[in-house]
Amino acid sequence: MFLFRFISFLFGYVNILVKGENLEKFLNKAASRGIFLWDIRRVGENEILVKTRLSAVKPLRHIGRTTGSLFRFKAREGLPFIISRLKKRKSLLLGAMLFLIGLYSLSSFIWFIDIKGNKALPAEKVLQIAAEGGLKPGVIRFKVDEARVEGYMRDKLPEVYYISVEISGTRATIEIAEKTIKRKEEQHPASIVAQKAGLVKEVLVLVGNPLVKEGDTVVPGQTLISGIIPPPEPSGSVPGDSAGDPGLNPPPVLPPAYVHAAGVVRARVWYEGYGEVFLVEDGIRKTGNSISRVCIKISGREIILKGDRSIPFADYEVQRNVKKAPGWRNLSIPVEIITEVYNETESFRVSRSRAEALELARQNALESARSGIGDDAQIIEEKTGEVSLKNPENIVRMRAYVETLEDIGIERPIERQQ
Amino acid sequence: MSWKDFKKRVKRQMSDMLEIPSDIILDLPKLVIFGDIQLYIENHRGIIEYSRETVRVNVGDYEVAVTGEDLLLRNILPDEICLEGRIKSVHFVR
Repeated sequence: MFLFRFISFLFGYVNILVKGENLEKFLNKAASRGIFLWDIRRVGENEILVKTRLSAVKPLRHIGRTTGSLFRFKAREGLPFIISRLKKRKSLLLGAMLFLIGLYSLSSFIWFIDIKGNKALPAEKVLQIAAEGGLKPGVIRFKVDEARVEGYMRDKLPEVYYISVEISGTRATIEIAEKTIKRKEEQHPASIVAQKAGLVKEVLVLVGNPLVKEGDTVVPGQTLISGIIPPPEPSGSVPGDSAGDPGLNPPPVLPPAYVHAAGVVRARVWYEGYGEVFLVEDGIRKTGNSISRVCIKISGREIILKGDRSIPFADYEVQRNVKKAPGWRNLSIPVEIITEVYNETESFRVSRSRAEALELARQNALESARSGIGDDAQIIEEKTGEVSLKNPENIVRMRAYVETLEDIGIERPIERQQ
Repeated sequence: MSWKDFKKRVKRQMSDMLEIPSDIILDLPKLVIFGDIQLYIENHRGIIEYSRETVRVNVGDYEVAVTGEDLLLRNILPDEICLEGRIKSVHFVR
């Protein structure tokens, strides 16, 4: 039926109002002659509206004459009429052509350049180098040779070891991986302060004024090596002397020297951890069986595209992933594609012996204690102990202590007082 | 029994025996009705009456009278008619 409609549209068809006394006869004659009529509708006492193909109009006139019916053309539809209408409206055609040409030509330029992966390198510099290499907004897409731009940029940017230029549509993406170059030592004044609480074991000062010594207990934030070096005490001047001799000029107050402190302060640091394990544990876990379902949601109505309507699991959890077309201004397309994954779950019960539970709790406790330890720390001692309670429970509790020796210093810039 | 009726009886027995669809052998109309909205009449002999409320179609020995509302002839072919609208009844009128 659709094919028939389409062919009719292609060759053109007309709506004819037929007036006459004997319309049934008219229809029968037309049908027996093989003239195709469709959508026949009675509109009045002696009037019917029919649709027929353009090629059938002439034989239909003949039948009309023999049955005494009058014709009036109501509407002309189909491709031939559209073309003839368009021929009269040349400017519309021109506009459509211009639109297509504009769309095509505008889409053959690069309008956007995205830069990914740059950290220290400013995006402006990358853009500038890319522009020198021939990639800038407004350039024609077909003239950009990605490999050449990449090569040029690699030459100009030695601090980058990987560059890829990719063009998709009107958007070019420059992906960069920077080399990690060790930056020069910072020259601004800084102190070294404690990061963690601990007992200072050794102090090695390279630059700066040490404020702690071995055996001191420090708290986080406490200055260990100061970047402020006080001026040396003027030799020979005792406070009592100057007070007793007002005639003598007070010694000039030298401003303290500011340095970038450097050094290592190693301290013993303690970490605590706690772990508990149930002797009998109930829970819910996934069985590994899962099914996925794809739905399309059109203005509140969900249509399943793939997958079953009913879920064959008794217990399950759902992961929904909704994809929505991006809205523009305050318009949004009310169509969403929803991918749902149903994971079957089951409840389980694990019972452990006391020894097993103790071992597990010990490991958990140690793990939680170790989680705060830095990479360069040296573990000196690990201790675990059960937290025992008077009345026995369904739970085993363990506490862990880890002692480490590590560098607790961290740089902090000094705010210079004017 | 007239000669015509005898011929019909023989034809029907033949079609029963050989399991040939009777609409071919006996030249009967075939009506296909979809709910109350669409009716196909195959093997017709022409329209007798057509209005919004009634459509009568000649199918040989008798006529099929359809009543309903807003009846519309979807298409007419030499051997097939498709009728649309809200169909209320289909009668065979001798």
